[in-house]
Amino acid sequence: MIKLRAIFEKKGRAKYISHLDLNRCMLRIFRRSGLPIWYTEGYNPHPYFSFALALSLGFESSCEVLDFNLNEDMPFDEVMNRLNAVMPEGMRILAVGEPRLKITEIAGAEYSVSLETENPEKLRTEMEKLLSGESILIEKKTKKGIKTVDLKPSVELLSMTVEESELRLILRLPAGTQTNFNPMLLIEALKNTSETPFEVCRIVRLGILCENNEIFS
Amino acid sequence: MLRDKIERHLLSVQKPSRYIGGESGSIVKDRAMIDVRFAFCFPDTYDIGMSHLGMKILYSLINGRENYWCERVFAPAEDFEKIMRENDIPLYGLESLDPIKDFDFIGFTMQYELSYTNVLNMLDLAGLPVFARDRGNSLSSIVVAGGPCVCNPEPLAEFFDLFILGEGEEVNLELMDLYLECKKSGCSKDDFLRRAAHIEGIYVPKFYSFTYNDDGTIASLDVEEGIPKIVRKRIISDFDKVYYPDNFVVPFTEIVHDRASVEVLRGCIRGCRFCQAGFIYRPFREKSAETICRQTKALCRNTGYDEVSLASLSTSDHSDIGNMLEQLIDYTEGEHINLSLPSLRVDNFSEELLEKVKKVRKSGLTFAAEAGTQRLRNVINKNVTEEEIMNTCRIAFEGGYSAVKLYFMMGLPTETDEDIIGIAELAQRVVDLFYSIENRPKGRGVQVSVSTATFVPKPFTPFEFEPQDTREEIERKQKLLVDSVKTRKIKVSWHDPNVSILEAALAKGDRRICRVIYTAWRKGCKFDSWTEYYKFDKWLEAFEECGISPSFYANRRIGYDEILPWDHLDYYVSKEFFIRENKTAHAAETTPNCRLKCSGCGVTKRTGGKCFD
Repeated sequence: MIKLRAIFEKKGRAKYISHLDLNRCMLRIFRRSGLPIWYTEGYNPHPYFSFALALSLGFESSCEVLDFNLNEDMPFDEVMNRLNAVMPEGMRILAVGEPRLKITEIAGAEYSVSLETENPEKLRTEMEKLLSGESILIEKKTKKGIKTVDLKPSVELLSMTVEESELRLILRLPAGTQTNFNPMLLIEALKNTSETPFEVCRIVRLGILCENNEIFS
Repeated sequence: MLRDKIERHLLSVQKPSRYIGGESGSIVKDRAMIDVRFAFCFPDTYDIGMSHLGMKILYSLINGRENYWCERVFAPAEDFEKIMRENDIPLYGLESLDPIKDFDFIGFTMQYELSYTNVLNMLDLAGLPVFARDRGNSLSSIVVAGGPCVCNPEPLAEFFDLFILGEGEEVNLELMDLYLECKKSGCSKDDFLRRAAHIEGIYVPKFYSFTYNDDGTIASLDVEEGIPKIVRKRIISDFDKVYYPDNFVVPFTEIVHDRASVEVLRGCIRGCRFCQAGFIYRPFREKSAETICRQTKALCRNTGYDEVSLASLSTSDHSDIGNMLEQLIDYTEGEHINLSLPSLRVDNFSEELLEKVKKVRKSGLTFAAEAGTQRLRNVINKNVTEEEIMNTCRIAFEGGYSAVKLYFMMGLPTETDEDIIGIAELAQRVVDLFYSIENRPKGRGVQVSVSTATFVPKPFTPFEFEPQDTREEIERKQKLLVDSVKTRKIKVSWHDPNVSILEAALAKGDRRICRVIYTAWRKGCKFDSWTEYYKFDKWLEAFEECGISPSFYANRRIGYDEILPWDHLDYYVSKEFFIRENKTAHAAETTPNCRLKCSGCGVTKRTGGKCFD
């Protein structure tokens, strides 16, 4: 068994593939590729696929991580090319290699969030105000029910730019097995406090990071 | 752009990937290179429509022609329909995301009567008038339909420009070729329809009109000058060589039948007298084991599916089934593919076959016994004996099965209370059989599920003349059945009889039903096959307002000499044969299957004297 890791993008129409559907979709991609998929040896043999970090429905990404197993050693490029030949629109493998880090080492993720509004400058001021406050309290749904969390210590705003009718934020948020903050939480907090109506027009995950902000791979 | 408008709302609906296309296997072409555009509409949601094999075949067939483009269109679920209507998003094709209003063809597949209102709703969502006469005479947006329900197209006649009778693999392209020729020469829609009416298999309803007697029956059918008096369905002669796709559109979201599917045979030799499919798909034809195996491999490879099912009315009637399954199991086992075999019959379910099937699935077993007594099984020509059912159950129980599902119909012609009690008794004997077996599966009891449907008389069957039981009678019989069951190991379930009544009225209706369907739709009826949307009271109101009684169509015995709304359509099986079979049924006598003896149904006038070598 050969353990491999792929980095792939999920853009355009592919953003409507839910996380649950992605597993099935990936299985069919691998089957179409004709790659020698490794199967478990139990009563009900199945291939092994594991996504490092779930991506919300509607988010795009240029940095998704998939771990999978093959039966034979093959050049990484060949694996990548064979998969890309049978990918649906919007999905593309960017790199294939041996897993370098453990999934548990994931600590954060970076997102680009585009908000559409008639008054982006005002929205920018409101966002600045929100981030400079004492705390950013928001209700978060967890497995145990709804609890109030403070985003303030965890959110890092890397940049905020205005382009025409858009306010674009680059955010870094905790992610992984310990704490996981969806950028929508911050958007919600903004919606609760701002007077400027806006719509989320695009969210892209730009990177999955480790503790020291090193790119996870 | 329409796409932006769609995407603006997509994340607020359930399963958005159903509305945006982009699936593997979907075919996108350059608009500028296309001569004829075809919107293939399934009048139900994506999850159901995407499971339909006919659509997959015709989609690939049409797209095989470089200058034709076929796209998929489904009924939006309620949440998305609301958004579409509020935001002026017209019904669009999933490949181009263009509105289908101006497509050359808008084609529907009519698989069940309870999808009729969805057709109107989809035409309306597309921005087209629902009545054909209101859609003008320029050559575009030709609204067509095919599928089993169009063997009696009259209840839909006013909504469609033409119907495609029989198998579509050849006639669809002929129709599109004619259209292209007409488009190039600047024909009107009427000119095109007049020429199309001469293609075998094409029925253009506006050239045919009915008059009625005072008692509501049909007095005459008048056909316009120069239009064929009889329209014959299309049949593919060489079924082994008929077009079959080597790829499917593979959905992202889970659909009802999410797997590859290979058609192994068409038609049926059995002649069960209630079964429309058993007659309208005649003659029986099969693909060779080699062809089936080759098509299975191609589909699995190109789609990436890890499950394949064999599609047919009765897979075990394939003359080479042993060899076929052996080859298939060889391939699927090696490739980690599940092989699923629906439509296996009780009577020829041999031990050897069960061994093979056991290798591939371990779910429950389903047997369609259809009636509770041998007498009634003879009446309906379901030639299964109790001994055979018991034998098969024994083999199944010994093989480790402990759950059996038995299908029955209620309200069959000549049915008495004895037949209803017979259902409970038969189920009881299956339970008793289980406990009499020494090496039965240990640790759990037996579960016999009895599922009863209300009999719906259908056109082109020997029972087309038969009345359906009234609701009161069906409800009485359901109660009788429940009271006759003495153990909790037998679970009884049934379909809503109100649904079956509408099904019968729509199936056997004439052109006057169009108005009823329109009225029901205006009252908000749609997705009638979904329990949560079915509004029987609205349908009754619609019938009432149109001055039509559903029981005239559903509960009336039809005379052999009466003109039927589908008499001018020729599905090869003759009315004389149906009358003969109806009489044989009332005498509780059976008719042997086609392989044992030809019963002269009429299809040999097409097959040249015999159906089997």
